[in-house]
Amino acid sequence: MNLLVFLKQSCETCKLVAPVLKNFLEEESAEILCQDSSSFFHGLAVRQDIGLRRSWESKIETVPTIIRFDKDGKESARIEGWDSEEWADFLQIEIPETMLRYKPGCGSDTLVPGTYEKLAAKYGGEEIKSRRILVGEQEDEIEACYSRGWSDGLPVVPPTRERVMRMLSGTSRCSHDIVGVVPPNLVECSVEKIAINAVLAGCLPQYMPVVIASVEAALQDEFCMHGLLATTYFSGPLVIVNGPIAREIGMNSGGNVLGQGNRANSTIGRALQLVIRNVGGGKPQEVDRSAFGTPGKIGFCFAEDEAGSCWQSLALERGIEPGCSSVTLFAADGVQAIVDQKSRDPESLSRTFAAGLKSVGHPKLALASDAILVVSPEHERVFRLAGWTKDDLKKRLKDLLTISGDELVEGAGGISEGLPVRFKSKKIPKFREGGLLIVRAGGKAGMFSAIIAGWGASGKVGSAPVTRKIT
Amino acid sequence: MDLDSRGVPGGFVASSEFAEAAKAQAVSLGFDPFRVFVEHPIQDRSDQEIIRLADRYFLDVLALISSSND
Amino acid sequence: MNDLLDPTSELRPPKRVPLKRLSDLQKKTVGLLDISKPKGDIFLDRIAERLHERGVLVKRFSKPTFTRLAPLELKNEIAGSCDAVIEALAD
Repeated sequence: MNLLVFLKQSCETCKLVAPVLKNFLEEESAEILCQDSSSFFHGLAVRQDIGLRRSWESKIETVPTIIRFDKDGKESARIEGWDSEEWADFLQIEIPETMLRYKPGCGSDTLVPGTYEKLAAKYGGEEIKSRRILVGEQEDEIEACYSRGWSDGLPVVPPTRERVMRMLSGTSRCSHDIVGVVPPNLVECSVEKIAINAVLAGCLPQYMPVVIASVEAALQDEFCMHGLLATTYFSGPLVIVNGPIAREIGMNSGGNVLGQGNRANSTIGRALQLVIRNVGGGKPQEVDRSAFGTPGKIGFCFAEDEAGSCWQSLALERGIEPGCSSVTLFAADGVQAIVDQKSRDPESLSRTFAAGLKSVGHPKLALASDAILVVSPEHERVFRLAGWTKDDLKKRLKDLLTISGDELVEGAGGISEGLPVRFKSKKIPKFREGGLLIVRAGGKAGMFSAIIAGWGASGKVGSAPVTRKIT
Repeated sequence: MDLDSRGVPGGFVASSEFAEAAKAQAVSLGFDPFRVFVEHPIQDRSDQEIIRLADRYFLDVLALISSSND
Repeated sequence: MNDLLDPTSELRPPKRVPLKRLSDLQKKTVGLLDISKPKGDIFLDRIAERLHERGVLVKRFSKPTFTRLAPLELKNEIAGSCDAVIEALAD
């Protein structure tokens, strides 16, 4: 028989099987490799698997493992751990009845956290295609990233090969998969490039499915990422996460939901923006002509608070099946506060919301920007207690935000801005159909809600929100 | 760039605020198109002002497509 | 010392020189492509008038929206019917 055996000194099951192997080797031969020692192993002559290369190549997950090879040197079978009947059959030997019948093996040293990525970086796995940038001995790695133009202004995490391999372990996608074409330079973006930028952003590997889905969504034609980047307007991509993954990766949907403090919230949106910057070439004062920008252009991402809500989530409204996770991309400005600490009935609070929403872009502009209304738990309670669904609120807002044209036309109110005069006698909705999204998020205390206004070009003219399932 | 590759020479007219963006794209795409930058702003000008702008820059615009001085 | 992996597209496009300009415009058709930002049409109306005065044939086109690249059908139409093209007016 042509056999290869993997053991570990520190594994009790390996110690148990050592006498069985020793007896077997009196008649047969086998190559025995020990992951953590080169010394004699309880009567067995072993060689150490230096650098765990052979363990990596043989994809060892458990010790002891015995692999049998056919006459062509191809693996034909393997067993793991200790099962006396299995061993007797595999090795064609008799096992003393006094021996324990079964004992599970121990984890292979190749799977120790941190070791796997080092081995992947060292011995391959999927080939890394990105160019290696040598950083000089005297050069600080973080400054090296700045000087090469990879940063958005904040320090980035230097993308070493190990860090990128670790990031790639967060997705089952092949690193060479092309996710889409990134503007403005219209270049293909691979999962590998996303992983490198996710490292720069400070993401954890478990965020990768969300980051990949966000990039895919942003590159859909209806999102109009190219136009959004190149405009003189304020906006950048906002990522709203729904579904179980938000909790799994520790996202924030509560207090400070639109602010700082949560790693997933802060880095997922940043990874997307860094892809646009570094892969796509979209940099401020170059193709990015935004007059002001917005703090969210560093990165803007949050999770909707679905747990305590009686309202249908954004994802369900947009056709995602219950139980699935998704991202919704929106071309967003900054955050506008709505203060209402007195309204206790839904009609009054709706009017407060409408008053705030009317000013999106300009009070006299309509059918230009989309908007997101982020309703806090305290405000949502007002509607819940009155039995209003989210649809009820949407319908009331639509009524309240259908405005007489004579208020909106150029010159009305002494303001030159406005709609063309031909709209004077019409009733105009502030938002296009589907242009107002409502989500629930925020801290449990605070009778405020928030408006996140959208780019001044929406729908077919510009950007429409895009929802993408996370796989 | 696409039309140029199809045998249609041309160029674009933009306001001066777009000079940097145009330069950046030219570097990254490896293609430096013919272009004319006119004075910014554009949006708040009257129709008459836009017409005068077109007159002022007409010969430059002509040079986007023609090498003749006529 | 550590190697870092390049997060950029590593784009190194070969440089392309634009086509030669037309030596004369007689009997040529010039396309005027409006990118559909406000006032662009007024600008191109005047350019068209001045070109007409010189005996140049003009064809007008416009992008569906200024926020996106020109669709393929539009580029096909321009390429199929024009000898040169002027695009305006970005601001």
